[in-house]
Amino acid sequence: MSEKVEKGRSRAAPFIPADTDAAIFLGNPHIDNLMSVVIALGAEIWADRQRIKVIERLMETEGMATTEMVEAYVPTDAEKEAWEAERMEMVERVYSVLSRDTSSARPFGEERQF
Amino acid sequence: MINRRSVMGLFAGAASLVAAPFASRAAQQRTAPPAMGFFETRDDLPPPPKTAGNVPGTLAPRGRNGRMERLPEIDLESRMDFLMSVRTFANQTLSQAAGRRANDILASKGISPDTELPMQEAIALLQDDPVVSARTRTWMSVQQLSWNNMKAECENNADTYLSEMEAVDNRGPGTLELNPDLEMPDYTRHEIHIQPGGYVGNDFAGHMYDYGTNGFYTGRNDQDALHMTAAFGLPIPEDGKVKRILDLGTGVGQLAMALKERFPDAEVWGIDVGGPMVRYGHLRAVERGLDVNFAQRLAEDTRFPDNHFDLVTSYIMLHEVSPQGTKDIVNEAFRITRPGGIFYPIDFNLKNPFPRTAYGQYRRWWDHRWNNEVWTIKYRTNGLQDLVRAAGFDLNEEGPVALPRFGVMNATKPA
Repeated sequence: MSEKVEKGRSRAAPFIPADTDAAIFLGNPHIDNLMSVVIALGAEIWADRQRIKVIERLMETEGMATTEMVEAYVPTDAEKEAWEAERMEMVERVYSVLSRDTSSARPFGEERQF
Repeated sequence: MINRRSVMGLFAGAASLVAAPFASRAAQQRTAPPAMGFFETRDDLPPPPKTAGNVPGTLAPRGRNGRMERLPEIDLESRMDFLMSVRTFANQTLSQAAGRRANDILASKGISPDTELPMQEAIALLQDDPVVSARTRTWMSVQQLSWNNMKAECENNADTYLSEMEAVDNRGPGTLELNPDLEMPDYTRHEIHIQPGGYVGNDFAGHMYDYGTNGFYTGRNDQDALHMTAAFGLPIPEDGKVKRILDLGTGVGQLAMALKERFPDAEVWGIDVGGPMVRYGHLRAVERGLDVNFAQRLAEDTRFPDNHFDLVTSYIMLHEVSPQGTKDIVNEAFRITRPGGIFYPIDFNLKNPFPRTAYGQYRRWWDHRWNNEVWTIKYRTNGLQDLVRAAGFDLNEEGPVALPRFGVMNATKPA
């Protein structure tokens, strides 16, 4: 049950929690945390970019853009497709380094003789 | 990039190959056949049911996109869209890179990539590789962030969302039965897919599930296309009578509502152990004007009379159930299905086991261990077909295919 819900209004029941928060995949919990931070920041950047796109569209078509107009805007199917493609391009551009084969990576300076 | 059209086309292509021998019969059986055998694109879907207008107390601040209510703020919608794209990236680009790394690791040990390794051996070989780990971490972060976005939205506006559900709890069409005293087997109380609180433990489980799984389907199911395909692909009894339908483990009622769209004159029930799930399902059914009855009950103890239903089904429920629970549910399904009626649980294809490559084994493990798919591995080894036959059903595993890429479990109760 969520602590945000008064007991009398809740229809939730006791559950068995997962322990995924304890999982470390990248050898150091801080690095695992930072991966989530980096993805969350990407989402925040995209949200701003999306808002700008809607504002630009409204300025073109309506000559103004209020908060209410931005929230109410319904993109066309063509806009949805274009935005989805742009989003995927951004994701590939930003995160594709994660697919880099680092199996032969060495700390800087190691095994280098001058 | 895979888009919605190509993916649904893939489903449809597979379906046409498998289902061709059954096509003419299936077409005769459908009471409201779609233009095509299956819904190839969202454009092929029947129009969504007209909403019931402004149901007092309900909210849709940004309107609806067909069957799905738009999220209440553009920023939240955009964040969820972005996470969906990162999930696609993890499933494609990163997963392919991880698979290549797995093969390289095997090769460095002198092991052929096709070798079927024991799961523990595959895990030990792959779990520390940077690319494999990065793929896993990315997928897990997306999963956690998606749930947390929805959880924060609902809990920060708890009164609003609760008031909306309370406004229609006792309103039709359809009914809602909640049972706060329901004794839940332990297997039902896990945080499946690491959804916060699971299906029973958070009042906004339905909201989180509806929008969270839309991300899991990477947006391809925002019009319940999979559920509509399943509903219209399910076989019906030989005598053609479909007056009562039950969807077990209905969740937020997507299949139950789709079945009501196919069989508008039938009495349709959706039951689930999760009170918050059926409560949300009822809200959505009322908004859509669909007469579907929701109840918080156990699939192994439905409390319906013997021989009651013409069609009993479920959608991806059984792989979330313990072996004992599965046996009990199958026996209960036999009891409540009428002679000549059909039991057709839709779930992962048992004839198409998870890839047994090292990387496939590794993925199967982390999905079980860290995405909290508690029962999936046992589902695949539980002998479901034998349980269905032992309960008394005549089982046809050849067809029809209710949902392409999923298993065929077409069980008829002997007349």
